[in-house]
Amino acid sequence: MMQKFLLPFLFAILAYGFWISPDFKEISAGVAIFLFGMLALEEGFKAFTGGFLEKVLQKTTNKLWKSVSFGVISTTIMQSSSLVSVISISFISAGLISLAAGIGIVFGANLGTTTGAWLVAGLGLKVKISAYAMPMLVFGIVLIFQKSKELKGAGYVLAGLGFLFLGIHHMKEGFEAFKDNIDLTAYAVEGYAGVFLFTLIGLVATVVMQSSHATLVLIITALSAQQITYENALALAIGANVGTTITAVIGSLSANIQGRRLAGAHLIFNLVTGFVAILFIYQLTDLVDTVSHLLGIDTDNFTLKLAVFHTIFNTIGVALMLPFVSQLVTLLQKVLKEASRKDSTPIYLNDAAMSLPNTALAAVRMETLHLYDNAARIIAGGLSLKLEDIEGDRPLDEVIFKSRKVLPTDIDELYQNTVKSLYGDIVDFISRVQGDISPEQTEELFHLRAAGRDIVEAIKDTKHLQKNLSKYFLADNPYIQSEYNALRKRLASVMRTLHQVRHHSDDTATVLSLDALKVEMKEHDQRLGHELSGLIRQHLISAQISVSLMNDNTYAYDVAKNLVQMGEVLFSNGNLDQKQAERSVLLSEDEVEALANSHKEPL
Amino acid sequence: MNVKKLIRQAENFLSSEERKRKEKVKYLKQVIKKLRQHELNLKAAHEQCADKKGREQLKKEWQLTHAQRKKGVNRLRSLKKKK
Repeated sequence: MMQKFLLPFLFAILAYGFWISPDFKEISAGVAIFLFGMLALEEGFKAFTGGFLEKVLQKTTNKLWKSVSFGVISTTIMQSSSLVSVISISFISAGLISLAAGIGIVFGANLGTTTGAWLVAGLGLKVKISAYAMPMLVFGIVLIFQKSKELKGAGYVLAGLGFLFLGIHHMKEGFEAFKDNIDLTAYAVEGYAGVFLFTLIGLVATVVMQSSHATLVLIITALSAQQITYENALALAIGANVGTTITAVIGSLSANIQGRRLAGAHLIFNLVTGFVAILFIYQLTDLVDTVSHLLGIDTDNFTLKLAVFHTIFNTIGVALMLPFVSQLVTLLQKVLKEASRKDSTPIYLNDAAMSLPNTALAAVRMETLHLYDNAARIIAGGLSLKLEDIEGDRPLDEVIFKSRKVLPTDIDELYQNTVKSLYGDIVDFISRVQGDISPEQTEELFHLRAAGRDIVEAIKDTKHLQKNLSKYFLADNPYIQSEYNALRKRLASVMRTLHQVRHHSDDTATVLSLDALKVEMKEHDQRLGHELSGLIRQHLISAQISVSLMNDNTYAYDVAKNLVQMGEVLFSNGNLDQKQAERSVLLSEDEVEALANSHKEPL
Repeated sequence: MNVKKLIRQAENFLSSEERKRKEKVKYLKQVIKKLRQHELNLKAAHEQCADKKGREQLKKEWQLTHAQRKKGVNRLRSLKKKK
C-alpha cells in the first residue's frame, strides 16, 4: 500500500522541484547520471567476476587481515562497497568463505569506500572532470559494442567512470548556480540537534539512492559550494555510512542464514561506528583539524577535511570492532538461528548464490556433496553397514566380520525422504542459473548434474543389490557367504577411499588416483568369472546362485563406477581450468581395461 | 621486431581463443608436473618396499600415474600444435 503511493509522491515532489528551480533539476540530473554511472561500473566489474575476482577472494580469506585488505583494495578499485558486499554475501551463501572472513571483507569495504571521498574532494573538485568524461563515454560505448566479454566489461567500466564524472560535474554546477539564488546554510542547525537531524537526512538520502557514494559526492559538492555547513556535512556523512547497510540488508533477503548474518554484521558495524562518531563528534572534529594540519590541508579546505573525517571515523570503527570479530560471529549465530531443516532441504541453493556464475557453480557442487552425504548413508545401510564404520579407521575385514546382522534399511523410503526432492532442487537450480555463463561454466554445470545423476543411479543399483545381499551374506553355505561379504567389503573400500580423497583433495594426484578404483573393479570383474566357474565345477555353489552372484556383482560394479565418476567431479577443489586439465588425463573405459589386462601379466 | 610480428602478437593478445589455449597449456603442464612428482614418489616407495603385496600395489599405482601422465603429455602436444 505504502509503495503504491510512495513512487507517485516522489515523482510529484521532483517534478515540482524541477518546475520551480532549474538548478535543482541540474543537481538531480547530476545524481541520476552519477547513479547510472555506478550501475554501469558494477556491470563492468561483474564481467571480471567470472574468474579473477573469485580466485583472489578464495585465496585471500584464510586470515582476517587478508579479508580486511581484500575489502579495502577491491572497494578502492571498484568504488562500490555495495558490489563488494553483494559478492561477499554470494560467496558466503555458496559456502565458499566463512562468516568471519565475510565480516573482515565488509569492514575493509567500509575503509575502502573512504577513498571515494578523497578522490572527489581532492581531484573531482579541483580539475574540470567533465572534460575527461566525454572521451571516456565515447571509448566506453565503442567497447561495449565489442563481442569479447572482457572488452565489453572494460567498456562498461570506462562508460561508468565517464557518467560518474559527468554526474559530479552537474552536481557541482547545480550547487554553484543554486547559491546565487538560495542560501541553504540559512537552514543549518547547530549543536547535537543538528547532528541528529542531518544524520537522519544523510541516512534517508542514502536509503533512497541506495549508494553512500552518491550521498557523499552530493555532500562534498554542496559543501564546496558552501550550501551546507561543515558541521552539518559531517553529520550527513555519518548518516550516509549508516544508510548504506540497506543495500546489504536487501541483498541478504534472498541469501541463506550465513548471508543474513553477514548483513547483520554490516548493520552492527555501521550502527556502532555511527553511534561512536555522533557521541564524540566534537573530539573527532578536533582530531580532524590536527590530522589535516599534519597532512598540510588548509584550515578552510572543508571538503578535504570531510574526507579526513570520513576516513578517521571508519578507521576507528574497524579498530573498535576488529578485536571482537569472533564474539560478533557467536552473537550473530545466537541471534540469527538456523531454522531446523530436513535432510532433503538444500543448504547452499539460494538466489544470492545465483547472482554470480562461479558462486552458482560452487553452490551446486556443495549441494551435490550434501546429496552424496545423504546417499552414502543409504548405500551403507543397503550393505548392512554403518557409514561411521566405513569411514572410520578400523580395518574393513574387521568391520565386515563384526557386522553380521541385517540392518533394516528401506531404501525406497529413504530415497524419497532425503534424496529425490534434493536432487530435484539441484536440477531446478541448474536450469535457473542464468546470466553470462561461459561455455566452460556450462560444461561444468553439465558435469555436476551428471554427478547428481550418478549418485541417484548408485542408490538404485544398491536397492537391487540389497535384495540378495541381505539374504546371502549370512547364508549357511560358507562360499556364498564369503562371496557376498567380499562384495560388501569391495563397496565399503570404494566408499572409504572416496571419503579419504574427499578430505585430502587439495592435491591433483589424489583426485586422479580414483582411477585406480576403476582398474581394481575391472580386475575383480575379470577374476570373478573364473572363481565362479571353479565353484560351480566343484559343486560348491549352484549355477542359480552363481547367476545371482554375477548379477549382483554387476550391480556392485555399477555402484562403484557411479560413485567414482561422482568423486572425480565433486572432489576436485581447483578452478575450472584446473578441473578441465585433470579430467583430460583421466583414463577412458578402454584405457582402464588395457591397464587391467596388463596387470594380468607377471610383473 | 617487425610490424607483422607485432600485429600477430596483438591479435593473439586480443583473441580469446588463443588466451584460452594458453590457459589450458598452463594448467595441463601443472597437472603433468604433479603427476611426474607423484610417479617419482611411488617409484621410490616401490623400491624401498619389502612386502611383496605392497610392492605389487605400488607398482600398479605407479603404472596408473604413468598412463595418466602419458595421456597428459600427448594432449599437451596436440594443444601446442594448434598454435
